Parts: sequence; structure tokens; C-alpha cells
Amino acid sequence: MFCTRDSAEKRTCFIHRFKPVILSVKNKPTITLTGATGFLGSHLMASLLSGGHRIIVLGRSNKNGTLQERVSRLLKWFGIEEFAGQLKFMEIDFLKPLLGIPEADYKVLCADTEQIIHCASDTSFTERKRDIVFKSNVNSLEGILEFAVNANVKFFHYISTAYVAGANVILCKECLSSSADFLNVYEESKALAENIIAAFCQKNSIPFSIIRPSVVYGDSRTGRSLRFNALYFPIQSVKYISEIYLNDIKNNDGKKSKQFGIFIDEEGYLFLPLRIYLPEEGALNIIPVDYFVNATIMIIANASPGGIYHLTNNSYTKLEAIAVYNEHFMKIRGVEIIYGKSADNVLRNPAEELFDRFMTPYRPYLSDNRIFDRANTDLLTGNMNPPEFSYKIFEKCMEYAIRVNWGESIF
Amino acid sequence: MDEELKTAKNCRHYAMCKIDFLGSGVCDSGLEKHFVSFYPQGRMILYEALAENKVTVTEKCLEIADSCNLCGKCDYQCYFLNEMRPTKVMEALKNHVETFIKNGGKIKSTGDDIILTEIKRIVGVDWATNDEAITITYSHDLSAISDPKMPDYVVMPNTKEEIASLVKLFNKNKITYTIRGNGQNLLGFAVNEGAIIDLNRMKTIEFDEKNWLVKVGPGVAAFDLQKQAQKRGFRINAAEPAALVCANIMCSGIMSTFSTTYGINADNFIDAEFVDKNGSFFSLNDISSPNLYSYKNLQHKNSPGICVSANIRLHPFTDDESGILVPFQTLDSALAFIKNCSIRHIGLALGIVGAEYISTFLSPTKKSASEIKNVFINKLGIPYLVVVIGDKFAIRSIGEMGFPFFDQRLFRALYLGLPSLKSAKWLDLIKELSDDEPYSYLRIKSFADLLETALSPSPDLYSQEIDPDLKPFFEKLFSRDEMTDLVWLNMYRIMSTRLGRKKPFLPVLIYLPIDNGLIEELNDKFRLIAEKYQIDNDFGFITPIDNGKRCIFEYDYFYDYNDPDEIRRIRQAGTEANTLVDEYSVKTGTVKGHPYVLYQGFCRKENLLYS
Ligand code: SF4
Repeated sequence: MFCTRDSAEKRTCFIHRFKPVILSVKNKPTITLTGATGFLGSHLMASLLSGGHRIIVLGRSNKNGTLQERVSRLLKWFGIEEFAGQLKFMEIDFLKPLLGIPEADYKVLCADTEQIIHCASDTSFTERKRDIVFKSNVNSLEGILEFAVNANVKFFHYISTAYVAGANVILCKECLSSSADFLNVYEESKALAENIIAAFCQKNSIPFSIIRPSVVYGDSRTGRSLRFNALYFPIQSVKYISEIYLNDIKNNDGKKSKQFGIFIDEEGYLFLPLRIYLPEEGALNIIPVDYFVNATIMIIANASPGGIYHLTNNSYTKLEAIAVYNEHFMKIRGVEIIYGKSADNVLRNPAEELFDRFMTPYRPYLSDNRIFDRANTDLLTGNMNPPEFSYKIFEKCMEYAIRVNWGESIF
Repeated sequence: MDEELKTAKNCRHYAMCKIDFLGSGVCDSGLEKHFVSFYPQGRMILYEALAENKVTVTEKCLEIADSCNLCGKCDYQCYFLNEMRPTKVMEALKNHVETFIKNGGKIKSTGDDIILTEIKRIVGVDWATNDEAITITYSHDLSAISDPKMPDYVVMPNTKEEIASLVKLFNKNKITYTIRGNGQNLLGFAVNEGAIIDLNRMKTIEFDEKNWLVKVGPGVAAFDLQKQAQKRGFRINAAEPAALVCANIMCSGIMSTFSTTYGINADNFIDAEFVDKNGSFFSLNDISSPNLYSYKNLQHKNSPGICVSANIRLHPFTDDESGILVPFQTLDSALAFIKNCSIRHIGLALGIVGAEYISTFLSPTKKSASEIKNVFINKLGIPYLVVVIGDKFAIRSIGEMGFPFFDQRLFRALYLGLPSLKSAKWLDLIKELSDDEPYSYLRIKSFADLLETALSPSPDLYSQEIDPDLKPFFEKLFSRDEMTDLVWLNMYRIMSTRLGRKKPFLPVLIYLPIDNGLIEELNDKFRLIAEKYQIDNDFGFITPIDNGKRCIFEYDYFYDYNDPDEIRRIRQAGTEANTLVDEYSVKTGTVKGHPYVLYQGFCRKENLLYS
């Protein structure tokens, strides 16, 4: 299944719908995984280990510890320390020849690896970090792809993002992106990485798949998560801003709050006028991490060579719904969503200004109109769909986030 | 070791108790008797010596102990700077003397020898002594690296003629003599055997406004002179507040953040009068006077004489001056900023400070300082800040250059809201904001409102962590506008001695071009030296001078001067750092080590920086 360019420079997908090959339980390939200490990678690792795979984790030490120490903490968090024996660690450097490890080790690594899941990624949206993001998401590919060839892997799976389609595309197909217009450097780097991987794998006859999740939040069943950006950030912002004013009301007789019409109403709700300006009507496409894991495991077990898979939600979540959830959850009123207008000439209170700054990088995803084709995914996952983002899920996720202080006290 | 002795042994010898920097008054007996022994600093040294049996109870000791009325003023001052309470040491001193007498101890009386009789004939009987209760208090200076030396006599002349007569007397009798201001020398040059000439009685200040100068006696401290100048609508370039102006010029030249525009060394005075080695007078403007404007590197010069007055330059100021703090993520970007401002003549005073400096200056206690340092670096993402003092046009220019900054209002909120800042959860979000554009939160129009709401800054809040019995005083103190006014704080520099609160420090000071690579290289090497000797260390400050062509760079080594092993290590580290500076001095031809400026403080800055 490869894409070719048509005359209009648009991509058309030729999807050869293979019958999935279900691997025997006994026949669990050894998977080399990158990004195992990240949010998605760690969840994949936990699931693969529980499923009986042997995993070789590639990564690096950082200020929080060695690769092995960090992974061990994660195993504990997942409660699966008993699977530690199925893990092997390699401290590597993608930018160095032979991944920066001794030739003998490299040879062993190649011999042991049957499949690769490349999940490591810099998820920063910041233009200022363009070089770092490209180094991490694009420049590092050479090393890992070379390794894929040397290891003669049976499959190379790449965890990408649903947003590679670009800024002005409404219908996002499960094919490579040719867009030149992206919302941020992250999307741009992932789109380029996909193209590089596809071209390289085709040239070297390596079967590959590209898995594209949309915005991923915590576990819909337990609320547990390891990362608290995207969906969580607006909620955390409102919470912290509300705490500033609640403190003022409690300790300073609300002197400052009164100036901006902030007060506690008769029902004990904090009235916090917070107008959120969004360019157009739209919604968030969010999936829980448990869905991401289940769907990914099914895809890598049965992927068609060259397959691209959208892990997205057919049931979009409007920001208004989240505002209502939050009103109930935090006992805060006054959040108003305004579409189609700019906030530039509006006199805003300090809370609104601060919130607006916090939201800037995420704003395009809050009122997104992109529709994601899921034909490939549905075929491989048997039409398994992520759950609708209900209040119950919201509550579980936010309760957990608060319990772990938005990630500060997870470990 | 009892608590009193511990406090006494930790006196930093900054002489801050000799100036009224908090407006709470100065020890009455010190003002009357002038010898350092009658100030809290001297009593601390005396108590330590008594407790460790280095001296016994003498006649002067009785007088020193008696003259303390336990008013508690020194508690305010010392707590403000070092979080110490000297009053209990004063009480212990009184108790020690009382017990000694009760137990039938014999009060030691030291008779006058011929020399002392002669000295007293020159300065008067009250102003010279060989009583060890006095001499011991002159055996120390600010430096703990140098060994203490017990002088034979301490003399306090009141006129230049008396000084000239003393010099002749000492020459005739081959007695070494050492001049002492407030003992602020960091290298042990204010202690010696023989006679110590303490100039603290010579506090004359005469303004000549038409000629934009003020003539100061050698006993005038920078803080007191600045106060007088400000009253008359002027500003001087002031060194550390307790440093005596003449002594400061003499030793190293005056430098401050205002040196960006007011200059260093010879830029700061118009003339000066000296008593030379033979007891004769000369003025710098005399055609036949020695050339003190010259500078010679890599060589300790001998003292050119005793500076008995200096005509200090007065500077005007405008009523639209204010201070701002411009945050930076890297030293590199901060250096580029100060260089640019300096070349363009933007701002009157400029200085890069590190997180250690700023958190120590702002925090009321040691504990708070280390917590705030963490907030500055890890939450606010501010390892470096540039302090700028300027008029409204300068501040506007910096805004137009595109740099977000903490203005005076934000600074006050940060300062008096420090206790809330430590626990402010919302700072986690602020850090995220800085990802895209550093410190973009400062661009939020109503950020000051938000910060004030979030931190609830107030003198009451700020004083929360202070000892409860001192809290009312500190609350009142911090209600005064000047205590949170960046212009005032930079003019009077009362916070600078807080840097030694955690541990005393040894600054490594150098002059060099604003060459980012060179500065970062030296910064790294100073750090590595300190790490080698396991010495606490940190970047200090950088101030541009002479239109950005050069800068003054301070790197600080911290040490416990009650720990002999640490003193050994700091000596090694200090020597190694100086050797490194020498190497760079030769290698670059542009790096100049500050120790070489000793006794050359009157030199032209051009001779120092470019020859
Ligand atoms: S307590 Fe004694 S030493 Fe301290 S300021 Fe008062 S009189 Fe001076």
C-alpha cells in the first residue's frame, strides 16, 4: 500500500486490503522500542511485556537517572515489575555511527531485533526549538533506519501523529502528507519523518507501518496518566488561576477579585469571567491511552506493509462540553467560548489574558475541523472505537491529575 | 560551643553596624567612642577573645562592656544582613565581666609606654591605647584568609596634621603603622603589628555644589556620603555602604553598577590630599605630586601615603529614574544585552546578577534564599537578571528593544510576595509559557495585577519568617518605599553584604572585555577550581564599563571561616584563581586581575584597562 502523486500533486492512496495475519501467541517477536520512557512508548512497553514480548529498550540517561532506572520506575508505576526479565536496555545515540555503541553490541542488537517500534519523539510545538525538534524527530532517523536494515527487521512501526495532514486539510486520509503548511514545527517534523521512513523502507524492502494517534489523554478506565499536557493544560490553567482568586477572596477580602467581577456565588461556585476566543467552531479529537495501546497492539500484530493508521475518535469533543464538565468538577462558572472573533481589541481581565497566553499553542486543536479517515484502522481493529469523552472519564482523569499534582509527584 | 560564642565567631566584620542603614540608629557608644571596640562588631571580637582566653578583662574591657545598654539596635541590623542576633553576645560579654569581678579577678591595667605617651600628646589621651581589649578588636579585618595580627597601639587622629605628626613619630621610632578605615580589605591589608591608625573620627563632609564636588574626610562611609549627597539633590558613585570613601579609592577604586556611566578609579574624584611617608602633605593636583594616575600590572605597589581627604564628583539625577530587572536564560544573551545598552548609552547603572545574588538579596533568611534561588532557576527560568537603572527614556528604549522586564511595580510584588512565590503552583504554567517566547508572561498587560493578586505582597507577609520579636520592626521597615526601590537599593547597596549571610565569601574580581567566549571560559574555570577544592561557588555579577569596551566580572567563592580545613582549601582555590587570571592576563593582554589595583585606586581607568 503506497501512495503516488497524481497530476494535481495530491496524494491518492491505493489501499490493498490484506487479510490480517494473526501471529501465534507462541510466536512473539522481540521488539526493539524507542521512546519507552515517554507517555505513549511506556504504555506500549507495558502492554507488550504483558503480552509476552521480549523488548529491547533503546534510549539514553538523563538528569532523572539511567535508562534502566527510569524504565524500572515506570514498571513499578504500571505494577508490572515481574516482567522486568523480558527487558534489555541499550544506551544509544541515534546521531552516532552504530548508534554510538561498540560494534559487538551493535551486532548482537541487530541479531536480536525482529521488529522495531520507533516511538521516540520531541513533542514540542515551539518554533524556537525548531532545531532541537528536527534533530530529534528527523535527523535521528538515519541511525535508526540504518539499524533497521542491518537488523533485517521484519517490520518497522512508526508512531506519528494524526496531524501530519497539515493546517488546511479537512479530510485527512491514511496516506503520506504532502502539505507544506503546518500548525507547528512538531507536525512539520513528523510529516517529513513519515516521508523519509516510507521512502527508505520502500527502497530497502522493509515492511513498515505508520500509526497516527490524535490527542492522547490518560486511561479512560482508571484516569491514570503519565503526561498532563494537551487536554489537561487548560484545566490545570483554570484551576491555578481560580486558586489565585480564591486565595484573594479568602485572605484579602477579595479586593483584587472584586475589581474584575470575580466572586463566589450563592451556590458556592467561583464566578470567574473567562472568555475563550477561538477562530472558528470545531472540536477536539481526543483518544484515551488505553485505546491507543489496544489499537496499536492490534495494528502491529497484523499491519500491512506500508499501512498508515489513524487512531482518532469519531466522536469529537466540543470545548463547551469540557467547560461544562469543568464547571461541575471545579465549581467554577463564567467560562464562555466565543467563536470567530479576535480578542485583540477586547478589554480582558488578567485571568483571561493569562489563560489566553497559556492556550496559544493548543488553540488550533481546541476547535479543530479536520476529519480523519479510519478505513485502515477499522479494518485491522475490527471497528474498535475509542470511548466518547464523558464526564465520568473527565472526572477520573482530572482527579488523578490533581492527585499526582499534574505529574509532579508521580514517582 | 555556646550560642553566644558561635554568634561572635560568625561576625562577618562588615562594619555595617557602624552605619545607620536601616534608619534604626547606630550603637550609641560607638558613635561616642569611635574605636571599633565600642561598636557591636568590636564587642563580638572581644567576647570571642575573652571566651577563648586570648585576652583577660582589662580597664577598657570594663568600659566596653559597661557602655552597652542592650538597646538591641544591633539585632535589627545584624539580623537584616546575616540573620544573627548580637545582643545576646553583648549580654554574655557583660556577664563575663561581671562574673570575673565577682570571682575576684584582677582587672588588667596596661601602663603607657614612652611611645604611647608621645602618641597621646599628638591625638589626646582618649584617642590612643595599648589596652588589649581594644587592640584585639583591630586584629581582624574582613578577610578571614589572612592571619590575625595583634597591634601594639590603636590611634584615632582627628586632623591631617595629627596624622603627619604620627607618621614622623613612627618613622623616628621605626614603628610600622597601618591605616584602617572600616577594615573592609579582603586581603588582610588592614591588620598589622605596630600601630593601627583608625581614621573613623575624621568624618568631615563639605559640599562645593558650584564645582560639583564634595570634599570628604577619610572617616566618611559611602552610605553616609550618599545620604548627604541625595539630600542636596546629587548622587555619588558609592562602593559598599560601610566602606570608607577615601580608603576605598585608595585600595581598589570605587566600582558599582553606576560605574557603567560614572566610571571607575580616577573617574570618581577630582582631587585628593595625602600625607606622604615622611609626614609631608601633597595633593594630586600639585604639579610636583607623585603620579598616582599611572597603573602598573602584576606588581604590588607600595602605598603612596595616607589619603586624608578626597574631592568626590557629584552627579545629577532626574525624578523619572526607575529600576527594572531584565531576565535572561543564558549568560550569553545577558552579556549581549548589557554590551548593547552600554554602547548605546542606555541606562545609568547596569549589572548582570546570577540567581544566587538576586535570591540572597531579596530573601529575609538563608532558608528562604535557597528556596527562592530554586524558584528563580527552575520555575521562573531565570538564571540571570540584568539590573538597569535609568530614566524613562532609557526604560522605554529597553521596551522598544523587545526585552520583557520586571518593572518597579513587579519587583515590589516579587520582593514583598516572596513567601507566596515559593509555594505558587501557577509558576508551573508560567514556565510552559516561556517555552515559546522567554518571559512572554511579562507582556501580559495586567500581569502586575495578577502577580499582586497571586502573591499578596505586603511587609507583613515578607516578615513572616523573621524572628517574632523582630517582626514588628521589619514590617515597619519594609513599609518604607526605599526598601523596595531599585534605584535606592542600587545607590545605597545595603543588600550587598547579604551575600555573605550563608557563608563569608571571597570574590575573584577581574576587568576584561565583554567577550562572551572569554567570560564563559573563565566562568567555567573559576567553577572548576572551586569544585576541585570543594568550595561553594557561584557567578557573582558583571557590570559594563567605559561604553561597553570592558566589564567588571566577579565570581564568588564561599567558605566557613571557622573551619580550618575550609580556610586551607579557599586559600588554595584563591591562589589558583589568581594564577589563572595571571595566565589570561598574559595570554590576552586585556584581562586585569583586581588584586593588582591595590593601592592604585587613584589611577586613570584608561591606564588600568588599556595599558
Ligand atoms: S545592644 Fe549594645 S552593642 Fe548592640 S547596638 Fe545596643 S548598645 Fe550597641
